Amino acid sequence: MSTRQPLIADQVTRSFAGRLAVNAISLELEPGKITSLIGQSGSGKTTLLRLFAGMERPDSGRILSGETVLSGARTHIPIETRNIGLVFQDFALFPHLSVRENVAFGLRHLQKSERGSCADMWIDKLGLAHRRDAFPHQLSGGEQQRTAIARALAPEPVAILLDEPFSGLDPAMRDQVREAALAAVREAGIPSLLVTHDANEALVHSDKIAIIDQGEVLQTGSPETVYNHPVSAKAASALGPLHTLSRSDVPPDWQQMINGADEYVHYRPEALQITGGSGFRVVRQKLAGAVSEIELDFGGSQTLFAMCQVGSSLQPGAEIGVSINPALFFDFASKSV
Amino acid sequence: MPHATFSLRTLPPLLIVALVGLPVLAAIFAGLTAGDGATWDHILQNRLVPYTLTTLLVLLLSAIIMLGLAVPSAWLISQYDFPGRSIFSWAMILPLAMPGYVMAYAWADMMGVAGPIQSHIRDITGLSARDYWFPNLFSAPGLAFVLASTLFPYVYITARAAFSMQSLSTLEAARSLGAQPLELFWRVALPVALPTIAGGLCLALMEAAADYGAADFLGIQTLGVGIIRSWQSFGEPNTAARLALTLILIAGCFLIAARVFQGRRGTQETSVRWRTPTRSKLPPVMAAAVTALCSVILIVCFLAPIARLLWLALETSANAPDLWPLVRSTLMLGAMGAALAFVAALVFSLSSKRSETLRLATRLIAAAGYAAPGAVLGLGALFILRETGQALSGWVAIGFLVWIYVSRFTSAGVEPIQASLARLPKNLDLAAQSLGSTGLRQFARVDLPLIAPGAFAAALILFVEILKELPATLMLRPFGWDTLAVRAHAYATDERLAQATLPSLLIVLAGLAPVLLLSWRLGKSERS
Repeated sequence: MSTRQPLIADQVTRSFAGRLAVNAISLELEPGKITSLIGQSGSGKTTLLRLFAGMERPDSGRILSGETVLSGARTHIPIETRNIGLVFQDFALFPHLSVRENVAFGLRHLQKSERGSCADMWIDKLGLAHRRDAFPHQLSGGEQQRTAIARALAPEPVAILLDEPFSGLDPAMRDQVREAALAAVREAGIPSLLVTHDANEALVHSDKIAIIDQGEVLQTGSPETVYNHPVSAKAASALGPLHTLSRSDVPPDWQQMINGADEYVHYRPEALQITGGSGFRVVRQKLAGAVSEIELDFGGSQTLFAMCQVGSSLQPGAEIGVSINPALFFDFASKSV
Repeated sequence: MPHATFSLRTLPPLLIVALVGLPVLAAIFAGLTAGDGATWDHILQNRLVPYTLTTLLVLLLSAIIMLGLAVPSAWLISQYDFPGRSIFSWAMILPLAMPGYVMAYAWADMMGVAGPIQSHIRDITGLSARDYWFPNLFSAPGLAFVLASTLFPYVYITARAAFSMQSLSTLEAARSLGAQPLELFWRVALPVALPTIAGGLCLALMEAAADYGAADFLGIQTLGVGIIRSWQSFGEPNTAARLALTLILIAGCFLIAARVFQGRRGTQETSVRWRTPTRSKLPPVMAAAVTALCSVILIVCFLAPIARLLWLALETSANAPDLWPLVRSTLMLGAMGAALAFVAALVFSLSSKRSETLRLATRLIAAAGYAAPGAVLGLGALFILRETGQALSGWVAIGFLVWIYVSRFTSAGVEPIQASLARLPKNLDLAAQSLGSTGLRQFARVDLPLIAPGAFAAALILFVEILKELPATLMLRPFGWDTLAVRAHAYATDERLAQATLPSLLIVLAGLAPVLLLSWRLGKSERS
């Protein structure tokens, strides 16, 4: 593609049987960048993907590729002619076709001879050369996944949409497959949408994150922005654990450091770091990989949660001190999580 | 007792295996040992080759017609919304209620020179009968049409299931890669569904190969017709045996092919997330065309023949034959055969829970009986009678006839019973045994109540299949035991079609019961 255009949702609304699945969403997918769409089941993220793809038609609003209207009040370019690549959670490979035939499926605009070489190029790029003639049922999950990506990218689509593409994979191989797959997607230089419910996946692998809840986008921005500067408690908790304190219960030493006037303050558990000293009593410690989740008691009535690395295990009842990173304390207009 | 060797418990299934298998084996044995020298040349050149070629031609043509009737309609009904879709969805299997011979009578009457179609053509055009060409039903393509129009629902059911089970995302992936609706069908949906469809087609062809009534009425020299003619008219038992052997080979091949295709299903699918496809709405013109297409299929294969038979029956109701003796013997033979076949099917199904060897043996033998056409089994019975020096009369004949029914239809009863047994929780037996219930007690208190719906379906299917059976009944029935099917066929081949209509209609009416049960179940599975 010589001209790479963004894929844009402009005030798009879609409802099913009176229920708003997508409510006036605007979102721009920029070329060469991976935009993650994160939200819980039923939040409307798959519907938004289907609207981008042309599998659904919006009730109102527009889907645009650059200046070209794909869906609008009077136009609806069907999925067949939209040239947008799709990767499904279940991969949706054609069971009767080999890897090579699967990848070549969308290449009918090419000469027969070019078709094979083009398919081979994508097969090589995704490291499937040794599985060229295998059928889908003979492939591992990761190989099926890469075949699906190669098939979606081979016709040089104007954008690629990935619907929870890694959630069907064995966790052990997921990281490896994800690296290779997303590298190929990024290299294609087209707008790409990664629908996921895995916050870590979105934070690590995307250039931009859109948080969706009940059919509305809560916040859009770089992973750094949305994680560290959430606009609401809902947006904050979509990307990681969030705890809430009544402002009056905040330990006096911290009061000065935490700005804002709201009745409640919210914090990420990693905002609390264990130090030598005293004032806090350990209730329990849970190992969560490299870090520990520690439940603390303050003043006999307040429960706080910390997430940090500790040298040795903490005995319940032990007295410790706690320092904080005020940047990870949030103050929203809302009352509670 | 998973490893029971030989005990009293394995005796009943073994006895039934012998009972079911003997007529097939007798026919095969007779076929292998019959004919030598000069007679063999005669059989080969004058009988075996022409009968076999005709049969294969009819099967080939009916395969093409069945695919044409079943596959597009199944695709349209599973993918699109159009007026009447929900009715066609189940009504498409109604033609199964019509035995081939009844379909042949009805269409022969409608397509005859004096029939309604040709009369109208002459009225409208003013031509006389000799001035125009009109398709002749009394031909191999005519027979293929008749058989295909009653048996295509087998293909329709499997095609529907295959298309509905296809992963929706596979179709959407194809569309996102630029596949237009027709391409979607040819390049993705059809190839993926093909093994399943082929399985259904093979079963339908096996049934078509077993036909005797339609071919005999239309005067087409198929193997089924040849067997009975050779025995009864030509007095050539050796010829009959050779033809029977060939026919069972053909039918057996179709059954094996069907099982192979059914076994391959599943390994081809990789997608995990099944969704009932959301059917897309067709534009009005297309929707009207699709509704018209489905209506034409239903009219040609069911409504028109039924309406014609009803019309004829009402028109000639004044001099209708006395049906009561026919109904009585039909019911008695049906009840005896269905009861015994039901017990056999039940023993088969239950014994297969106990031992793997036994299961294999019972399935093999039941399948052999299922694949063997009635004419072949009837011939097997006649050979057994000859070898044992018995005469074909009175209760001996009735005993043999019921025996053949059991041999032919037991496997039709096994499938619904096994399907409901398979749905029972695996540890149910152990639970019952731990509570002190074993053997027959356990069967009566646990298994039987739970499989009751399947058992009812099995009994119904068996009764109706026996009631429709023609060739074996024709060969073995004693004097005074004509069934509805036998008499309808006698009237029809005697060119007394009007008298054949009432018994034919009764057969269709009975045949509707299991078909409606099946379509109700299909409808339920679609909604859930």
